[in-house]
Amino acid sequence: MEGNEVKTNHRKVALYLSIFPGAGQFYNKQYIKGFFFLILGASFLAVFYDLLNIGYWGLITLGTIPMEDHSIFLMVQGIIALLVTVVGLGIYALNLLDAYRNGKRRDEGTEIQSVSKQYHNLVDSGFPYLMITPGFLLLIFVVIFPILFVILLSFTNYSANNSPPANLVDWVGFKNYIELFQLDIWRNTFLNVFSWTIVWTFLATTLQIAVGIFLAVLVNQKELRFKKTIRTIFILPWAVPAFVSILVFAGMFNNTFGAINTDILAFLGMDPIPWLTDPFWTKFALIMIQSWLGFPFIFVMVTGVLQSIPNDLFEAATIDGASMWQKFKQITFPIVMYATAPIMITQYTFNFNNFNVIFLFNGGGPAVPGQNAGGTDILISWIYKLTLQQSQYGKAAAITMILSLIVITVAIWQFRRTKAFQEEDMM
Amino acid sequence: MLNKRMLLLLGIIMSMVLVLAACGPDRESSDDSESNDTEDTEESENSEETSDDSGEESSDGISAEKPEKLVVWADEEKSVGIEDAIAAFEEEHGIEIEVSELEMATKQKEQLRLDGPAGTGPDVLTLPHDQIGQMAKEGLVDPISVDDETLGIYTDSSVQAVTFEGETYGIPKATETPVLIYNKEHMEEAPESMEELYEMSQEFNGDGKYAFLALFDNYYFAHSILAGYGGYVFEENDGTMDPMSLGLNTEGAIEGGEYIQKWYEEGLFPEGIIGESGGSTKTGLMEDGQVAATMDGPWAVQGLRDAGIDYGAAPMPKLPNGEYPQTFVGVKSWNVSGYSENKEWATEFIKFIANKENSKARFEAVGEIPPVQSLIEDPVIADDPVSKAVAIQSERGVPMPNIPEMGHVWEPMAGALQLIATGEQTPEEALNEAVDTIKTNIETNQ
Repeated sequence: MEGNEVKTNHRKVALYLSIFPGAGQFYNKQYIKGFFFLILGASFLAVFYDLLNIGYWGLITLGTIPMEDHSIFLMVQGIIALLVTVVGLGIYALNLLDAYRNGKRRDEGTEIQSVSKQYHNLVDSGFPYLMITPGFLLLIFVVIFPILFVILLSFTNYSANNSPPANLVDWVGFKNYIELFQLDIWRNTFLNVFSWTIVWTFLATTLQIAVGIFLAVLVNQKELRFKKTIRTIFILPWAVPAFVSILVFAGMFNNTFGAINTDILAFLGMDPIPWLTDPFWTKFALIMIQSWLGFPFIFVMVTGVLQSIPNDLFEAATIDGASMWQKFKQITFPIVMYATAPIMITQYTFNFNNFNVIFLFNGGGPAVPGQNAGGTDILISWIYKLTLQQSQYGKAAAITMILSLIVITVAIWQFRRTKAFQEEDMM
Repeated sequence: MLNKRMLLLLGIIMSMVLVLAACGPDRESSDDSESNDTEDTEESENSEETSDDSGEESSDGISAEKPEKLVVWADEEKSVGIEDAIAAFEEEHGIEIEVSELEMATKQKEQLRLDGPAGTGPDVLTLPHDQIGQMAKEGLVDPISVDDETLGIYTDSSVQAVTFEGETYGIPKATETPVLIYNKEHMEEAPESMEELYEMSQEFNGDGKYAFLALFDNYYFAHSILAGYGGYVFEENDGTMDPMSLGLNTEGAIEGGEYIQKWYEEGLFPEGIIGESGGSTKTGLMEDGQVAATMDGPWAVQGLRDAGIDYGAAPMPKLPNGEYPQTFVGVKSWNVSGYSENKEWATEFIKFIANKENSKARFEAVGEIPPVQSLIEDPVIADDPVSKAVAIQSERGVPMPNIPEMGHVWEPMAGALQLIATGEQTPEEALNEAVDTIKTNIETNQ
């Protein structure tokens, strides 16, 4: 074997020949496959030459002549060119790898597999990959493409003042990110919005989860009658579209005319509270509303999990003399959390980006002095305002990137810690 | 070993691709075959279409070739107003007019951004004038060449509204501005001055009733007061506005802010109409008959009519300093798309549909007041109290600035006015801060 390896060096020759697609395969006397790679390579260049040419040129320059070159379209084309290149390079690497492997087989004196043999191999062992491929290609354009677009956008000066086709957009590097922290007003706004987003996420979500679990456990008590009716009532906030509920709440919380101030608080003998004009009270109201809107989902989910906890656990605990609280802490809560933790985490990410409730309740208001966003704007609603009301696309993209980074980091970290994702048995 | 080699190879390939990228489009030989596929096909279509009528070009005094058809985007539910004019134009010139309705305030702009480059956009579209500056900068609308005689029939403020950087970008179609709308049950006649409203408020208010309500935390409405005392948005020199020279924290503007604060401070305007849902709350109160008078646009009238309120309308009453409030005037205009292949014919068309007769017909069909000077006295408008009030108030008001920088003004001003309304800040502080914010935002967006 070793002697063989020294004498022939087919693998290297085949590899280098393969720089021209197909040549390595010809060298290995795999003519059909070589022909296939040759055709593939030639047609790739022929079909995509224009796209790659214009795409890369556009991606680098973002156009040179206003009105004729549309920077944003060029950027889109550039990203497509990039993706096509990646796919092309993938196939090219396959070509190189194939030539190298078969050359190695020849070096080692093993028989080279025929095309039909390889085909059977592929169908037998690689069937799942074969089936995934079209979906994966689609995924590249549906998922990767928009992400790349936002990333690239955050490095441009694309804004209302600088809009194609009459103007060209330019690359500005990290200017958008730097300005976000450098200019007083932007830094203030960013920090305020960011900290409120975090507070909002934790308070609203934790509260809705706590209420959901509490009520589910309560309703699940054996002694309780009319369970079905009670459950139906608790699911109602979920059944009514949140969109409608929030708008109704906006009316109910109106400082002067809303039912909360005029009826409920007045009945309790309390002074009216400035729900919509004082940032603190608006935040308070928002957290309450989101808890109300969000708990039924947790309630339903936990109710389902509770059904599946074997009764003997509780019976054994009762015999051992465990209290209600001990039973909850040692049995119910761990099992519920084990089964539902991933969904609980998505609740946090959901509220982190819960645009509806913020925007519909008070439009991110009330105003606060010295910043660019309203008092209850979270990052996502601020981005909405920046893009759709102020047309600061570049800056909004930069904030989007920061926001995505946060969500991604938290999500990955949390999911990795969650036992439910570790594919092992619980007990 | 292998991995290193592979990386080297990939590197070579990548650099080849990048070298390739430096080529760019080959503009000299095949300018439109590569980058402008769509335009190319469009051109060929057009040349086919126009070859038939090439003989009759000169008869209309327009040098451009006559297209087979013009595509017109009209405002939603408003195209009925131009049906007859279109028929007349089609008959006279033999050009087919294809009308489609598209919501004016946002849809047309967004759609044009996509359809224009794709070659499926319109020749003529219709826009609120405050979008003209932005769209002109983006190259989405083109200036039109019209003589002074054509523009002379429109009110000065409406012509000013469609002028951007010294050029005319459209023909005024309709005008609107907030006026005083009152409930005849509580108020027999419109008051002469704001002071009368103020005095009436002190007696009339209570038990959920209000003598006068206005959304002065909304800059669109509040501008009338600030400007009435001498404030302005941007300084204007020879028809060009200077975005860095703001007049929103001048002595006059601050005085206006103080006047606004007075209404909220004394509880004459309830806290419940401040902020996001303030508008709907106010409308609700008005339609319930709880309010004697309100400042609102002609668009509010339909709701009052449906609610069975016996309403009247008048221009805004005088401020304590003896000036009329200078409301923001919005002008809707017909514009020519920057992507149109038939700009001259499109211009000819919009001149025709917005001429005096067709404007009048349009008013009768859809009720939007044309800013045609001679029509203000016309019984068609003068006999309708709301239209008359709007027409008069339009002449007293100022057109909203149409430069793109105006987009940075609304939010900070709304914030400042809200802080004034809730008493969080003095008008001086709030307005100074708003002007600072506006300036920073304009600067960072240069």
